[in-house]
Amino acid sequence: MLLEINDISKSFGGLTALQDITFSVEEGETLGVMGANGAGKTTLFSLIAGHAKLSRGTILLAGQQIDGLRPDQISALGVARTYQIVRPFRGLTVLENVAAGALYGSHQEKSMAKANQMAHEILTDVGLDDRANQPAGSLTLAGFKRLELAKALATGPKLLLLDEVMAGLTPNEVNEAIGIIETCKQKYNFTVIVIEHVMKALMRMCERIVVIHHGEMIAVGPPEEIAQDEAVIQAYLGAEK
Amino acid sequence: MNNSSNSLRFIGIGAVIAIFGGLSGFASEYMLGIGFTLFMYIALAQSWVILSGMTGYISLGHVVFFGSGAYVFVLMWGLVPVWLGVALSGLVVGIGALIIGYPVLRVRGPYFVILSFGLAELVKNLVLINEARMYMSLRPVFGAPSLAQLYIAMLVLAVAATGLTYWVRRSRFGAGLRSIREDEWAAETIGIPVARLKLIAFALSGIVPAMVGAIFIMRSGIFQPGDAFNPIVSFTIVTMAIIGGSDDAPGPLLGVGFLVILQELLWANWPEIYMIILGILLISFVLFAPSGIYGWLSANISRSKKNAA
Repeated sequence: MLLEINDISKSFGGLTALQDITFSVEEGETLGVMGANGAGKTTLFSLIAGHAKLSRGTILLAGQQIDGLRPDQISALGVARTYQIVRPFRGLTVLENVAAGALYGSHQEKSMAKANQMAHEILTDVGLDDRANQPAGSLTLAGFKRLELAKALATGPKLLLLDEVMAGLTPNEVNEAIGIIETCKQKYNFTVIVIEHVMKALMRMCERIVVIHHGEMIAVGPPEEIAQDEAVIQAYLGAEK
Repeated sequence: MNNSSNSLRFIGIGAVIAIFGGLSGFASEYMLGIGFTLFMYIALAQSWVILSGMTGYISLGHVVFFGSGAYVFVLMWGLVPVWLGVALSGLVVGIGALIIGYPVLRVRGPYFVILSFGLAELVKNLVLINEARMYMSLRPVFGAPSLAQLYIAMLVLAVAATGLTYWVRRSRFGAGLRSIREDEWAAETIGIPVARLKLIAFALSGIVPAMVGAIFIMRSGIFQPGDAFNPIVSFTIVTMAIIGGSDDAPGPLLGVGFLVILQELLWANWPEIYMIILGILLISFVLFAPSGIYGWLSANISRSKKNAA
């Protein structure tokens, strides 16, 4: 198992954001996370990446306990994360953004020249290399989403957490994005957990899907099963009388 | 950029440094004084850039390093050889910065700006209290090296600080710092140990100013806490770095050169309007050219190159 989430809960004051979540992810798998806004999906990513402290439970990465570590330490162990609301380093060039990932992350590349070379290669993978020397702030939304992915890839992840990298994209751009992610996954060999509202994308990419509703996990299974699941249909469409 | 133009550039820089150094032999006291001030502010502004330019943690109290260095130096005056004393004041202040930096750098944005200012005032008052307790309102420094020697020492510090900024800007360390400036949270996400890098930058940013303070005290011949911790020094450093540009080593050189010349021109004839002009300049740069003279120049040069191509 690459990632084991053991009975974790998170509450902010009296508000419970996540409760008793347990699942695991196998190496090489693509796992989808589904749920309405506010269901706790992003909180789940924050807990895995170390940006929020667990209230209860443990998280293991390749058998090693990672809850309690700092985000930069978790990144160095091979967990990368993209943000739903993109966080580019706007004042730096596109290349510098990506090279920073290679210089730190789990690569910890010491040579600037090698880091730049890696960054160019990843920018080519995501189709942004022609913008390498532009300030990152000058990109379009689709460009920001690709940059977010490139920065995460540059850290050399074993586990990549993708938080709505396709939200706001046109159907064409969504198809391209799925292609990029799948190609990179083949090339760099990592495991993916993806939060997505674009259902088609989720169905296409994932081997299994976890459904979270009001902070609780109500279903887990292959996409076909999830689409038929009573509890999921009730949560999404409301109970039939 | 090929190797021959790079080595040409190094020869050019070496020649400029040698000329400035050679001037110490025959330039007038007045000219040496201007050079001393010029080098002093280059060393200070470059040091400021390592912390504030690179990380975005704007220090409005950089005089705290200058003043502390001066104080450590006068406490050791006569007890250790002069130049060892200068080096030790840098070392002591650097270690102090490592200790105090940890809590201080947890504060971000405008709160850090206020805190840095407050810290300088706090240290000034602690020194004042300590001096009062020891019945010392001012400490004279007798038998200091000649102005020509101090001028050379300040030149060395200016070159060292400029080289340090140049290196940081191109290093892995600097890439981490500049990422922190853009988005600290995202920087941590891609594995940058933000707390550690900020602390190292804070200490690096304090060492040269401490040595500058020590040398400055030998030039002024007297240590007074009010002068050594004068907040105007902090403001001047920030103004120079912002006007010149604070993302790379040429920025402070341009900013300091510009302002020291302006000061020499105006101070003699219209001292009362100097501060007014300084204020107008600062506001204009912040509003219209936030990346400073150097940032503005490089943007326009790359644009005209693109147009020509």
